[in-house]
Amino acid sequence: MAKTAISIDHIARVEGHGNVHVVINDGVVENVEMNIVEPARLFESMVKGRSFKDCSYISSRICGICSPSHCLTDIKAVEAAFGVEVSERTKKLRELLVYGSYLQNHASHLFVFVVPDFVGYPSVFPLAESNPELFAQALELKRLGNDLCTKVGGRSIHPITAVVGGFTHEIKREEYLELAERMEAMIPFACETVDLFSSFRITEFQSANDMLAMVEENYYPVQSSPTLRLIEEDATFDTADYLNYLEEYEVAHSGALFTRSVKTKKPVFTSALSRINASWGNLSRQAKVMSAKAGLRPTEKNPMKNNLAQAIELVDALIRCSAICRDLAYMEGDSKPVDFEVKAGRGVGMTEAPRGVVFHDLEFDDAGRVVHASIITPTAQNLGALEADMRQLAGILAEENLDEEYIRMEIAKLVRAYDPCISCSVH
Amino acid sequence: MPYQERRRSITPRVVVVGLASCFGCQLQITNQEQYLTDVLGQIEVVYWQMTSSEPMPDSFDVAVIEGAVTNRESEETVRELREKASKIITIGACAVTAGIPGIAAKDYEDRPHEVYNTIPEACGELIAPRSVGSVIDVDYEVRCCPIDFYEFVQVLSAALYGSNHKLRTTTMCTECKQKENICFYAKGEICLGLVTVGGCQARCPSLGRPCNGCRGISPSANLESARQSVIKYGLSVDEFNEKLEMFNQTNTQFTGEEAAVEEAR
Repeated sequence: MAKTAISIDHIARVEGHGNVHVVINDGVVENVEMNIVEPARLFESMVKGRSFKDCSYISSRICGICSPSHCLTDIKAVEAAFGVEVSERTKKLRELLVYGSYLQNHASHLFVFVVPDFVGYPSVFPLAESNPELFAQALELKRLGNDLCTKVGGRSIHPITAVVGGFTHEIKREEYLELAERMEAMIPFACETVDLFSSFRITEFQSANDMLAMVEENYYPVQSSPTLRLIEEDATFDTADYLNYLEEYEVAHSGALFTRSVKTKKPVFTSALSRINASWGNLSRQAKVMSAKAGLRPTEKNPMKNNLAQAIELVDALIRCSAICRDLAYMEGDSKPVDFEVKAGRGVGMTEAPRGVVFHDLEFDDAGRVVHASIITPTAQNLGALEADMRQLAGILAEENLDEEYIRMEIAKLVRAYDPCISCSVH
Repeated sequence: MPYQERRRSITPRVVVVGLASCFGCQLQITNQEQYLTDVLGQIEVVYWQMTSSEPMPDSFDVAVIEGAVTNRESEETVRELREKASKIITIGACAVTAGIPGIAAKDYEDRPHEVYNTIPEACGELIAPRSVGSVIDVDYEVRCCPIDFYEFVQVLSAALYGSNHKLRTTTMCTECKQKENICFYAKGEICLGLVTVGGCQARCPSLGRPCNGCRGISPSANLESARQSVIKYGLSVDEFNEKLEMFNQTNTQFTGEEAAVEEAR
């Protein structure tokens, strides 16, 4: 086999702009690059000098689809710096907001971005014609995620109501109950989605990367815990210590900084799959049954199964959100922003965005103005892991003497399985 | 000509392009699931990188642009789009006013070095963020961060079939009063509704958040009078100006006046 150079310019059906270059010489993978060409907007520099009040409003704009997570992570960083404790009700609302973006993101990613790969279409639009029933239900699920974000946050992206200390507006009891009913009605379709994705044939391989996720005792956390876990390294640590475990580094071919483990120097993969691996035992019963039925049990190391993991999270999220909505409809207390004192200090916020762990590290002066900001998005962490997996996958396929077109397709599938949010990664 | 074929020959060909942005405005379009197929049924989307792997064609009728121009490569892209398309629609604050990316336009030179030790080649040739309208002529715009889907449909129809609607000049305050919201100034909080162009139906103030000015300053706004009101309520003019920077950093109405103020000092 001669030298093969595979280039995919502007990889489609992902969020943002990225190119892939793979060079295979005589069956040996010589070079792999995930080239991130998204224009840089320099958010860390933008928030510097600005008041804590504007921070979450600005950093929410890092990414539309992940905006609830960025907004919330920023608020949590401010609260960590000022020592703000929020009400139980506020915590529940925040969880709903994060899950709204999960439903929205996972449904769009799976049906709009991934399904075309496995049914051989260039986009989702032919699917709308060939299988209108499936398309309609997928859209309905996505819509439910948007409606959840809108009800809680004020609109489907860039939440309005979430502020430091609480929420500026809440919906009525009947609206919570209606949301709960819609969630429950959607669970069978989410289960069908798990079956659909477990029926797709994927290339089997074991990634050598580490995995990172938020963890909490007896719970499947998305925003409630300050604790993280690196699964391979077997390290459990507090968000405030993240710099002792994770480091960013620059590469010339990417506008996004890459991330790896400080100790093992291994690339880190953070995702739905990482969450399920870290907290499988805490999935709701039905989600766990679906996961086992689909053959996904910890520790699953094939990153291609992240799609399946997202489908399982859809089942889990619907069950959890309907319960939270019913709680909110009847529980006492309010979510009005609590009073707090502005003071100098540093705070690190951490949330499980749909695509994995996101960090916002903010330092304030005594007037509450940002002195220093650092933001690490899930995709920035994942780019190093994606390159390593692409290298391994290309190697396996080249060894099997598969043709260039097949390898190209498989690599594109791997990139999409990572569900990269490239606009996030550059910020 | 058979109906299907004739319909195809007259269906407007549309491209959707994303520059430096959060992709949120494109998402707002896809987020109206129940109407999306009706809207897309009236046009032929010949290029939409976010949703399809088909490459951009050489000719089309309408280009929808999201995002700010932040490097020479994007500047080239929008010029090319202007040459190929008969109508250009900019969507969202980033494209219309340079929006949030525009915050970085102030003292731009030092900023990339605050984020990178060595600026990656992949960033392209970085330039201070600017709106699409400051690089090429734009025919229609959809304001807000993020855009409202229904307003997008209205503007798209105007671009496709024509319209005699002019750009709104009333400020957000008008709509907020109609909603009978309690004024933020009365609560001792700065709100930009009194200088920001209306059309959002006071969405944020109605949900308890003051206006951050994402639609941009109204052409008929009286900034000086607004600053007097800020003083009258015992609030800080510096804070008012700082808030305005969020979506109007590159707006000459704001920067031009700032320069005049500097001069007067």
